[in-house]
Amino acid sequence: MEDDDQKVLDLIKELVHRLLYTSQHPIPSPSASSNPNSSSSSPTTHQYQQALRYALRILSSRMTPSIAPDDAAMAESIKRRLATQGKSSEALTFTDLYSKFSSKTGPGSVKNKWGVLYLLKTISDDRKLLKNQSISRVSNGFFDPASVGGLPALFDSELSDRVSVVNEHYKNLSDLDDKHFSHNLGGSSDNLKKLRGLNSFGKVEKKWGDCGFNENFEKLRVSGEGSRGFKGRENVGKGWSGGVLMVSKDPENIRHLAYKEFAALLREENEVSEEALVRDVLYACQGIDGNYVKFDEKADGYMLPELVKVSRATHVMVRKLCELGWLFRKVKGYISESMERFPAEDVGTVGQAFCAALQDELSEYYKLLAVLEGQAMNPIPLVSESVTSGNYLSLRRLSVWFAEPMVKMRLMAVLVDSCKTLKGGAMAGAIHMQAQHGDPLVKQFMKRLLRRVCSPLFEMVRSWVLEGELEDIFAEFFVLSQPVKAESLWREGYSLHSAMLPSFISSSLAQRILRTGKSINFLRVCCEDRGWADAAAEAANAAGTTTGRGNLGYGETDALESLVAEAAKRIDKHLLDVMYNRYKFKEHCLAIKRYLLLGQGDFVQYLMDIVGPELSEPANTISSFKLAGLLESAIRSSNAQYDDPDVLDRLRVKMMPHNTGDRGWDVFSLEYDARVPLNTVFTESVMARYLRIFNFLWKLRRVEHALIGAWKTMKPNCVTSRFLDKLPNAVKLQLVLTSRRCQVLWDEMNHFVANLQYYIMFEVLEISWSNFLKEMEIAKDLDDLLLAHEKYLCSIVEKSLLGERSQTLNTTLFVLFDLILRFRSHADRLYEGIHELQSRSTETSLSSRDKTKSRANKNDKLSEPGLWLGEGRKALTQRAGEFLRNIGKDLDAIANEYTSVFDGFISQLPVQQHIDLKFLMFRLDFTEFYSHLQSKTGAKLLP
Amino acid sequence: MDPEAARTARESLDLVFHMSNILETGLDRHTLSILIALCEMGLNPEALAAVVKELRWEAIPSLSSSASSLSATPPAPSIP
Repeated sequence: MEDDDQKVLDLIKELVHRLLYTSQHPIPSPSASSNPNSSSSSPTTHQYQQALRYALRILSSRMTPSIAPDDAAMAESIKRRLATQGKSSEALTFTDLYSKFSSKTGPGSVKNKWGVLYLLKTISDDRKLLKNQSISRVSNGFFDPASVGGLPALFDSELSDRVSVVNEHYKNLSDLDDKHFSHNLGGSSDNLKKLRGLNSFGKVEKKWGDCGFNENFEKLRVSGEGSRGFKGRENVGKGWSGGVLMVSKDPENIRHLAYKEFAALLREENEVSEEALVRDVLYACQGIDGNYVKFDEKADGYMLPELVKVSRATHVMVRKLCELGWLFRKVKGYISESMERFPAEDVGTVGQAFCAALQDELSEYYKLLAVLEGQAMNPIPLVSESVTSGNYLSLRRLSVWFAEPMVKMRLMAVLVDSCKTLKGGAMAGAIHMQAQHGDPLVKQFMKRLLRRVCSPLFEMVRSWVLEGELEDIFAEFFVLSQPVKAESLWREGYSLHSAMLPSFISSSLAQRILRTGKSINFLRVCCEDRGWADAAAEAANAAGTTTGRGNLGYGETDALESLVAEAAKRIDKHLLDVMYNRYKFKEHCLAIKRYLLLGQGDFVQYLMDIVGPELSEPANTISSFKLAGLLESAIRSSNAQYDDPDVLDRLRVKMMPHNTGDRGWDVFSLEYDARVPLNTVFTESVMARYLRIFNFLWKLRRVEHALIGAWKTMKPNCVTSRFLDKLPNAVKLQLVLTSRRCQVLWDEMNHFVANLQYYIMFEVLEISWSNFLKEMEIAKDLDDLLLAHEKYLCSIVEKSLLGERSQTLNTTLFVLFDLILRFRSHADRLYEGIHELQSRSTETSLSSRDKTKSRANKNDKLSEPGLWLGEGRKALTQRAGEFLRNIGKDLDAIANEYTSVFDGFISQLPVQQHIDLKFLMFRLDFTEFYSHLQSKTGAKLLP
Repeated sequence: MDPEAARTARESLDLVFHMSNILETGLDRHTLSILIALCEMGLNPEALAAVVKELRWEAIPSLSSSASSLSATPPAPSIP
């Protein structure tokens, strides 16, 4: 021990000697221990002794180092300092050296490597300090006091103070035993403590502002030091070697102490370290509860429980950062919920696509979190260490990182909320509405998402439009199909489901889509046509896509529109071609017009002729076979026979359901058999309407026919004229009057019927037909065609007074018809009677001429000839007179009735507002005979 | 000392000397060797550094002309 101590002392002496000497002389002087005065000039013995004693003092005062012995950390710190000073090459060299140095082990190597390194570091620090001080002392006015914090002189004086204090201490303690101290390096602790205490006390006094400085000034000094510290570092970085009064390590470790205090304060305040909190926040953002941050059900969020002792600011910060965790939870919850429902087939393809897209976004998010977690492992440096851009993660840094993911996650959560209950096209539409946003980041994000989400929809549209296939298991598409029979396929088979229509597809586009697919299906099912496939392929080529899958996407609504337009154009054209050419739509329409609407005049006439007598029978005695036979013969004997046999095949007789008391006239009708596919146009209801029109027209014809028949008997002929001659004058007059009245009435009625007939046939039917033809030309698809036909029928119905609003007129008309028919029977009776009389009179020219008949009833038969024969000419005259009178009365009655009804009818014609009957009225009241009559009587006659 | 140890010692000294040059400590090899020896013996490096600093500092003012003024003792603070 003694040996060691002696060795140490020797070494110290030598060191002191060298230091004192070598600072003057570069030549190292021999290490003579107690021979300081060997060759040098100025260091005196006293100085040397003083120095030695001082050295010993210092050495004994600090027994333990202030930092932990860790040579690697020390090397690191040195390296860093070199690097920040801009000497990076030297730092590398140093690293190299250090690695070599530390690898040296065994005898002869330095064991206390840390000590050596620390020594070097400290010496170099102090050296710098010395240099700075010396320069400043030499050139004091050089530097602006303000730039160095304004207190350079203070520092100097401080130093000098400090030195003086130490000297003082030294002086005060010099009477203490040197030897005692010098031999007591390991020595008595109380002495050392005393010494240390004195030293530190001196320091404390220093620190707390003796020499007349107050606390603020002190603080200012400290802060000034700090600022100078920054400046120094900067300046050093710029390559000034010790230009400004700067220290990075103040002599009394003031800054160091302050930082230590701060660190202690932090530790005391926060029970949890920031790193742990950061890690917990990262867990929370993945939906996992951390050690401290847990999901609070009541508050519905991730937060630190109140019990955890951290600063309020940290609480708030953690809460804010965990919003991301809450959003994540929501989105993830939706995804997992949907995935559970997949097997139940509750979630549609669009929903699945949405989930997939969300999961992709979340995987991006996970990547970010993984990177952040890697960084979170690094310790957060305290403020005391130099600022580096090292990869550590504090709460603040985390909040910067989370800015963008927060926006995205919020978007996703909003989407999830709005789409919770939706499916299919509705979901796509809702997301699209959210995508109408100005922020380009949001727009990009939504576009990506929507592309994925809408791809099933677009695929469905494509397959529907190009192939007519509807693969919609989950009912997400906006076209619905229903299983119907072939004839209603067009009208009811497919419809638009507007709830599922996404908002980026307009309704006109949707209509076209619907129609195109419908046409393909129609062609396939009803027309058994395969040519549409070519049309579809052409369409796809024209639109620039293929008939394969997956070419259309969201955001390409234009492409979709053009594809649909092309497909629609071609397929519609194809459909119309098929309708017109293969199924001869036009021809059938024309045939219907000619037969059902009685356009083929000669055929109708003939039919009427031969079917007429049959139809007068009661309905239940008429057999339809017979009628069918009659129809055939009618066809054959008119121009209709040259018509297309296919058309003629379809023409049939139909007996409507009848009650008792109905005559054949009421139940007879023709029908036309329109088969698939034409029965999409000529549906049951359409044919029913045709039937109604037919009935009306048939009735009209019948009336006309009746009148014509009446004329046949009425026209003046030799029979009657001869009869007239033979009659006595009174009777003759009566006869003439009666017949004239009859003829006048007939004429009126004929006028009416003829004009009505004309009106119906030409003004109504022909005009509607020509309009229909025109529209057929310009029709682009079957819907147009259907509309045109509908319009055609409607106009016919309305104009021929069969519509609902013309009910009163209609009834009036039928009343008139009835009257006419009654008249016909009267006229028949009259002329029959005349003929009878006449034949009687000629027959019994020899015998008496009492061929009068009493016609009390209509169906009265001739009385027995016996009655006649018995009477003479007088009786005949009497009979004739009576007969004529009766007939005359009947005719009068009819005439009156007819006139009144007819007037009513006429008066109503101009009042009609929904149809324009002025042509009818013009014709009927051509000479204003009736209106003249009306104004004369001045009464509005009721129908 | 065996040559092996001597060589190790020499090499170590060289390395340390090189390092100290990088750090601009201004120490020469001999002084450095003494310091290393003292460190090895267990002295506090901080203290050694302080000694070096103080003695140097003391040495320098002896060079400049104003050294004497500074070496004159300013009024000493009272020590209670």
